[in-house]
Amino acid sequence: MGTTTKLYIFTGKGGVGKTTLAYSFTRYLRNAGVNAKYVTFKNQSLSENHNDKSEDTTNFGVPTLILDLEDSAKGYIEKKVKSGMIAGWIVKTPFFRALINMVPGFNYLIFLGKILKEIKHGENNPVMILDAPASGHALTMMEATQNFQQIFESGAIFDDTKKMLAALLDPAFTKIHIVTLPTLMSWHEAQDLKTELIKRTPVEKTIVLNNCLCLGLPKTSEALPKALEQKIANEQQLVDQMAGEFVLALPHSLSQTDDKIQQDILGSLEKLV
Amino acid sequence: MQIGKKSFEIFCGTGGVGKTTLATARALQLAENGRKVLLITIDPAKRLKELLKLEDAEAGEVVSVHFNQTVQLDALLMSPEKTIQRMAGRAGEPHLSQNKIVQILSRPYGGMNEIFSLVELQMQFESGKYETIVLDTPPGPHFLDFLESLNKIKAFFDQSFVDIFNYLGKKKSKLGLMNRVISSGVKKLLSYLQAVTGAQFLDEFVEAVQVIYGSKDAFLKGLALQDKLKEKSQCNWFLVSSVEQGKIKEALDLKLHAEHFIHQDHYLLINKCLEKELSSWEPKDSNLIHLKESLVTKEHDLKENFKKHFTYVLEFPEVLELSPTEHLNFLYKYWNHYELQS
Repeated sequence: MGTTTKLYIFTGKGGVGKTTLAYSFTRYLRNAGVNAKYVTFKNQSLSENHNDKSEDTTNFGVPTLILDLEDSAKGYIEKKVKSGMIAGWIVKTPFFRALINMVPGFNYLIFLGKILKEIKHGENNPVMILDAPASGHALTMMEATQNFQQIFESGAIFDDTKKMLAALLDPAFTKIHIVTLPTLMSWHEAQDLKTELIKRTPVEKTIVLNNCLCLGLPKTSEALPKALEQKIANEQQLVDQMAGEFVLALPHSLSQTDDKIQQDILGSLEKLV
Repeated sequence: MQIGKKSFEIFCGTGGVGKTTLATARALQLAENGRKVLLITIDPAKRLKELLKLEDAEAGEVVSVHFNQTVQLDALLMSPEKTIQRMAGRAGEPHLSQNKIVQILSRPYGGMNEIFSLVELQMQFESGKYETIVLDTPPGPHFLDFLESLNKIKAFFDQSFVDIFNYLGKKKSKLGLMNRVISSGVKKLLSYLQAVTGAQFLDEFVEAVQVIYGSKDAFLKGLALQDKLKEKSQCNWFLVSSVEQGKIKEALDLKLHAEHFIHQDHYLLINKCLEKELSSWEPKDSNLIHLKESLVTKEHDLKENFKKHFTYVLEFPEVLELSPTEHLNFLYKYWNHYELQS
């Protein structure tokens, strides 16, 4: 495949179908022979009595990495101080927990660092598909790297942050897909997000309209209920008006399972590469 | 269903469910019914900002909003930067807003929005100007983000932690951190962290913590407010979900955790319902039957599940009016389905 992109970020508000799309796209790339891996975050703050671990697993036949914050932080520190015991102790101290929890952007540094390491050192040139948290938080992720570049002026994190920033600002390395729904409100939210992202990074950013009832609805002479007709007409108007502003519009899927829904859209994802 | 009049109304939920619009509509309903209302919102979509005539330049300032020339309420677009300036002013701690780390963290996406919105809520309540303050909390990937921020403040002021910083903070001069006499455990921790973060950062972080401590009263008052928010007589909690993204597991999670934070008397809002409009539809085409299934069955199951776990479930229809003004108009009138208790 003619792509150098190593990191695809899927972002957007909750419930727009990011996870489905990210998984489906991972499957699409794998079918095309790319060693693609799905990655997401869990536990974004440090709670007490934490025993959770990151998971390296398989979902929908796709290698899946679910990063846990405490586990990832511990791994990072362990590498720096060269002791698992000390790293374990550090992440349990109130000082460190307050640092992470009061400074939420910090968690993204840890997650991003882990993802970049995976891309760089993983076997067979992996490409990572990141299912990023809801939109305000995706901006926090972008801004966190820039903020911390200013906060840390030396030390190991400074060097690592520099690398992260370079990756997030490199159009040959990273692509961002903003997933949204075909309603006016959602459209504007996606555009607001795009505008904010443009201020922060020159990498390609596209908008994907998901779950469009107005597309691929079976041809029929039957009358639809008024509300549904109105909803479809509104969608159609948006899709026509904004043509060219979004990279892809996906139809509403009638399938019942996540696996089937992902398969339904697989064929139309080439534009996201 | 009647909903009581309280000093606080808090809207929690994940992004994209229409939380901000519903909170705004609720504030309008209260205002129309003669309450003196302040709406505190964070990161609303541009269109809603325009509707409320909230310009970015006014972020952090209370502005008076006239909706449709008839309903009047006050609105505040959160600006963490302004909140921290106000805190610094009140505490006589100008250092607070000058510290580099504090400044960076209080940028709009710096990540401390939850904590600052709670502090802002407290400061506005103290002003005594409002009968009800409606707080639209920052959208989280999770329902509970806002609630958990209350615990973050608590952890920050944890006694053992306070002791360390009181100790470190005895000298405010910029001596190298490592030069200070500190307990061996702390010293060890800091030396390890120093290898990772650099000495400069640790010095600045400790300074940031010290200046935040200087304003700790504002944070602690924010914590005290938590008790009020837990009282039935003081606060209505609205947990917002939508048909589009309704996840049963999330609701159960919420139910489990929420009990630690909020009283039993909370409301679950389901936004963007279509079932009522579609229930009488009897399609013949098998594809359309599938379509109805995929829309109605999903919504129905979701509601039934929510109703099993929540005493008060409020439904709001999907609004098909395109203009934001009509949209808001519709929703705030719809709120009148749920009467205000006199």
